[in-house]
Amino acid sequence: MNIVDVKGLTKRYGQENAVEDLSFVLEKGTATALIGPNGAGKTTSLSMLAGLLTPTNGKITMAEDLTVGFLPQYPQFFPWLTALEFTEMAAKLSGVEIAKAKLQATRTLEFVGLGAEINKKVGAFSGGMKQRLGLAQAIVHQPKLLLLDEPISALDPTGRREIMNLLKSLQQDTTILYSTHILNDAEEMTDQLLFMKGGCLIEQGSLREVKERHANPQIRIQFQSNSRALAFTERQMWKCEVKENSVFLPFYENGPNMQQVLHVLASEKEDILGVEFQTASLEEIFLKVVAAE
Amino acid sequence: MKHFAILLQKEWRENIRNYKIFWIPAIFILLGITEPVVNYFLPQILESSGGLPEGAVFELPTPPPEQILTAVMEQFQTIGMVVLILAYMGTIAGERKSGTATLLYVRPLSFPAYFLSKWGMAAVVSLASIWLGFLAGYYYTLLFFGNLEVVKLLQMVGTYSVWVLLILTVVLTASAALPNGGLAAASAFAMYLLAQLVDGLFGTNWAVSPVKIPQYAAAWLTGKPDSGSLGGAIAIALLIILSLSAFGSWMAWKNKARTKV
Repeated sequence: MNIVDVKGLTKRYGQENAVEDLSFVLEKGTATALIGPNGAGKTTSLSMLAGLLTPTNGKITMAEDLTVGFLPQYPQFFPWLTALEFTEMAAKLSGVEIAKAKLQATRTLEFVGLGAEINKKVGAFSGGMKQRLGLAQAIVHQPKLLLLDEPISALDPTGRREIMNLLKSLQQDTTILYSTHILNDAEEMTDQLLFMKGGCLIEQGSLREVKERHANPQIRIQFQSNSRALAFTERQMWKCEVKENSVFLPFYENGPNMQQVLHVLASEKEDILGVEFQTASLEEIFLKVVAAE
Repeated sequence: MKHFAILLQKEWRENIRNYKIFWIPAIFILLGITEPVVNYFLPQILESSGGLPEGAVFELPTPPPEQILTAVMEQFQTIGMVVLILAYMGTIAGERKSGTATLLYVRPLSFPAYFLSKWGMAAVVSLASIWLGFLAGYYYTLLFFGNLEVVKLLQMVGTYSVWVLLILTVVLTASAALPNGGLAAASAFAMYLLAQLVDGLFGTNWAVSPVKIPQYAAAWLTGKPDSGSLGGAIAIALLIILSLSAFGSWMAWKNKARTKV
């Protein structure tokens, strides 16, 4: 079931298109990663979905009674409120029953790892703590849709891991759309990838689909020297490439698969240093796709 | 209504924790006290400053108590209004500029409740300030210049309160409509001065002009303002307050895209 349907979304500032003809759907209970270089239009897109900005063109259709939580990239808080006071207010303004708001806020703060800081003023919070509080205010009313703008970029590796785990645990009941430029993490939690550049969507699909299109999987066979690698290719009729001491066999239709390759190698008299299956990481794909556009 | 209560609590906490609820009344109390005290000690002040030639005989008439309280109001009209405008110029524009408003605006926020919570808190602080200021001035006036019926004071302060609410509404609406607090203050000042100028130049016969409310307030001290003119001026002021509040709520909503994300 699609809970969000975005069609032809466009935001224009004067002559400039911040977002141009963006279309995608968010399926219930999925995580979608919005990826793109700085200035790609990720924040503008998320702001339109959050209802802060009015699109110049296009349409956002949301499921009825869809509750939304939003975490901006740099959340700003009233420094004179405590974490609990702020989160409680956020809960109430988002429709949580007044009587339940305090308890729900406390639990949410504990969930994001601010249990010891609930009564501290936000003005004294570090960047990482603010990021956690930002997440808390976004999820305190248990929204069905969670929009997160760079939720983990400002965190240290430990904090990043913790927040990723929190987000994964939310995934069962929540549909998540998040932007990031930390692609290792995106690879970990994504059902759908949206690549943006210059305001346009330049690639989209599941992680598998995108990898199939761009990852160029290949088998690398390492020999002792360049001449031995070349000698090996002369004996085989495979389409391949030799770089230094290695032979690279790309996967292609009707080409050899791993099993066939291993079978051949088993009876090979040359010394083989290693055989490995190689596929481009999301980061490499990202760089390639962005550079190609 | 629910949002109004939630947001009013936030405003209350803000005004306490940034000490506005203390320093604004303190200024008005100080202004209220200064007028009677300075007037009472004027001979000594003149003497100690050595401004008079030797042997000069200088009869200073003792001003009547109502004149002192009118002078207190004049202080409020200048310094007091500047303080209020500066204190509340950024109340909406500032939240947008710093981005603290973002986390409010992404919720299903009632903008009239948002505007009114700010209006309500500013009204409480400002009215408490002028009441305390007049009360302090009244106390020293009784002490130094003789009796003045307390009913007269209450009538004056009550009437003047409408004027203060009008000024506040102008500031808050400017803060909702304009991109930053400085512009909001500048335009509020401009309107304040312009209204007084226009009323002073052409408004001799505009009995129901809200700009005359301070004059009518002062008139309670010596007698009684014309009730028809006073009623008309107050009705028009309330009408302006209502329409500006509606406009301000709408501007706050319209400008929500300007909040820093």
